[in-house]
Amino acid sequence: MSEAPTPNETGGWETLAREAACRLESGGDLSELQQFLTFRLDGAFYAVPVERVREIVRIRPITPVPRLPAEVLGVISLRGEIVEVVDLRRRLGLEPTEPARRSRIIVVHGGDGSIAGLLVDGVTEVLSVDESDLRAASGDAVESLCVRGDEFVSLLDLNRVLEIDGNQ
Amino acid sequence: MAARKKTRTRKARVVSKADKEFISEAEEILERMRLDLADLSDQRAAGEEVDPELVNRLFRSAHSLKGLANLFGFDPVQNLAHHLEDVLDGLRLGRVLLSVAVVDVVDRTASLFAKLLSAVGDTAAIEAMSEAVQALIAEIELAKQPVETQAEEFATLDIEASLLRALTEYEEHRLRENLRRGRNILLVDATFEIISFEEGLSELTTAIREIGEVLSTLPAPGESSKAQICFSLLVASDLTSTEVDARFEFPDTTVRSVAAARNPAPAAAGKSVSTSVSEPIATVDPPDGAAPATSNDAPQIQPPDPREFESLKSISDTVRVDIRKLDELMNLVGELVIQRSALGDLVSRLHGDPATARIGSDFGKVHKALDGKLRELQSAVLEVRMVPLRQVFEKVSRVVRRLRVELEKDVRLELCGADTELDKLIVEELIDPLMHIVRNALDHGIESPNERSEKGKDPQGCIKIDAFQRGNHVVIAVSDDGRGIDRERLRAKAEAKGVIEPGDVLTDQENLDLIFAPGVSTRDEVTEISGRGVGMDVVRHNLAPLGGVVEVDSEPGQGTTISMTLPITLAIIRSVLVAVADQRFAIPLNTVQETLSIDPEQIQRSEDREILNHRGDALLLLRLSDAFGLAGLSRDEKSFVVVLGMGDSRIGLIVDRLEGQQDTVIKPIQGPIPTIRGIAGATELGDQYPVLVLDVSALLDDALHRKEAA
Repeated sequence: MSEAPTPNETGGWETLAREAACRLESGGDLSELQQFLTFRLDGAFYAVPVERVREIVRIRPITPVPRLPAEVLGVISLRGEIVEVVDLRRRLGLEPTEPARRSRIIVVHGGDGSIAGLLVDGVTEVLSVDESDLRAASGDAVESLCVRGDEFVSLLDLNRVLEIDGNQ
Repeated sequence: MAARKKTRTRKARVVSKADKEFISEAEEILERMRLDLADLSDQRAAGEEVDPELVNRLFRSAHSLKGLANLFGFDPVQNLAHHLEDVLDGLRLGRVLLSVAVVDVVDRTASLFAKLLSAVGDTAAIEAMSEAVQALIAEIELAKQPVETQAEEFATLDIEASLLRALTEYEEHRLRENLRRGRNILLVDATFEIISFEEGLSELTTAIREIGEVLSTLPAPGESSKAQICFSLLVASDLTSTEVDARFEFPDTTVRSVAAARNPAPAAAGKSVSTSVSEPIATVDPPDGAAPATSNDAPQIQPPDPREFESLKSISDTVRVDIRKLDELMNLVGELVIQRSALGDLVSRLHGDPATARIGSDFGKVHKALDGKLRELQSAVLEVRMVPLRQVFEKVSRVVRRLRVELEKDVRLELCGADTELDKLIVEELIDPLMHIVRNALDHGIESPNERSEKGKDPQGCIKIDAFQRGNHVVIAVSDDGRGIDRERLRAKAEAKGVIEPGDVLTDQENLDLIFAPGVSTRDEVTEISGRGVGMDVVRHNLAPLGGVVEVDSEPGQGTTISMTLPITLAIIRSVLVAVADQRFAIPLNTVQETLSIDPEQIQRSEDREILNHRGDALLLLRLSDAFGLAGLSRDEKSFVVVLGMGDSRIGLIVDRLEGQQDTVIKPIQGPIPTIRGIAGATELGDQYPVLVLDVSALLDDALHRKEAA
């Protein structure tokens, strides 16, 4: 995947969405296309459905919370809302690192009406995917794979990502 | 402490904002209808005279429901409401007989309404119910038994024909009904100053309602001066005009009898015209000359119909507000409070520097004034959220009414403190636990009438709910005079569940507290009423996020008392800030009894626990660093103890530092693991770091019941 425009500023997310919308309008059967927000994690590409994404925020102070498993880094304040941040690297069994300049927290809608933050290495682009381009995957939290050029993007099953056993 | 808003899983139906508004308003009306219906059938069953105001209210409810459905375009509801309104109108006007069938069909209509409401947005479900709606409409029509109105003439009445002509159909019906019941019919003439007649009339009406029923209020253009206005009130009462006149202390008011009671009490069998009346009939002129004594510059005030006045008022002096809007308002105030703290820091920095000390002190004054206003705003917003417990109590009594029939138990319910106010959100969260406790009392606590008689108790059992404020908390205690909790059985059950070991020595209170252990219930068989696999542990669990505690007290054979202690509000609370290993935590001030500074040598040991001699009492200590697995100060350094107390339990929490007090807005934690033992939520303090708020109830529980932290 070529280095796609990175959303550096607050407006980046909207730009990405607009671009995706343009691409959608310029062709393709709407009903067959699904949109995913892709991001980097330990050198590989992952994605979550755009309709589950509420917003993307820069890294901010995280308060550690006792008695939580290591995958949950702690809580951030999001304009008054207190949201847990999941270290997606740890959650997917990858090598944990310190957050860097490009790190972002993707705030996603959980299944039960609540929200959760996912710490990722950097957000890349919005991808429109035809259902026929999806390949089944057998990962723990990866639902399917999508071919993008000569690279794979792993599409995450958010419900499973957010299923974290609290009694660890 | 933080209330976690329950995210109820909704069925896949589309409920728009307008629909939601409709549902919430309609539910309110329906609620009122059901209360009135229950009263109506009680009165009917007891053979009492049915309160006409009750029937009126039911009619108005059905009417409002119809209007509402029309406004929002819900045809099935509208159609049903129309027929309901029709039958209630008939009842109200005495055209339809108040039979068992009618009461029953009205009751079932209300149930069907509730079903329809729960299906709003789900077209298929509504469709499926249309048959039931049609069937019920047919039944309503069938249940309408017309009353044969004997053409009873009011000829015997000592009253002007013009006055009679002015009566509405409803008023005529009430007059007829009261005559049938053999009451005295009186005519009260009253003259008021035009400028204050509303007040005077309302006082008079209130006074009359104490002794009877106001059948009609008619403006009567008398010969009074142009600054005065006269009214004639047609009244039905058990008292005679003489008695009424003696009771009334209104100036310019005369009372005379129109029809004497048919079966008057011997003492009251006087003449039909009262002796104390000065000008018996002269004050009432035929209402043909509509305007009061004419004069061009006289204020041409059309005497308004006082009933119309009343209804207008009740609509305009309340505003329905979505609780989420209040939440938003509360959040805004909360954020202002946080900003204020930041401003306070700035002031002290300005003060600290000699170069800016002067401006700092001016700034300080402004800050102080702002502070005062902000506090007022805060309490005003909090006040708006407060609701009395009355509604909850009404729900409880309805359930008790139903259950005592199902369970064949004779129970009376005593309710005290219905006016005690609590945050709306807490009231909502309180209903289920309270209902559970009351069901338990009814099902397990109160014995059957036979059993009670054998024990020499009053065959009628009693459940008492007592609500009262205690400091920043509200206590709701549910007591029954039933059989009490069987300690042995409870213990055996707890042993079977592995909660305690067979050899464990328990105090009586510890034994009773086993009722809160998961899966322990006092009875073996699960009944439909309070079974359902949940027990008191669920009650305790539900109250914990609210910062509430539940306690039990029971005397074998005498009864059980379960008391819940809840904070009055969740919104903004004062917290004590403490720090352990560079991390700050907030502790709600209402759980903090005092703070102490202690030297390490003051701490004594007993087995593996640390205790402090606190004015002669042994205060169990808990290190927050241990509870949360943090690297706190070493044990031989000076530290601080925060004495925490809730209900009757107390512990001392050891922390590294105290960092003062702050107003805090406690927010629930969202994310994959929203419930964390020992943490009630988090708050913001101006910097970006959220500060965790301790769940004192859970910490106390863990420390006192020796549960090791994970």
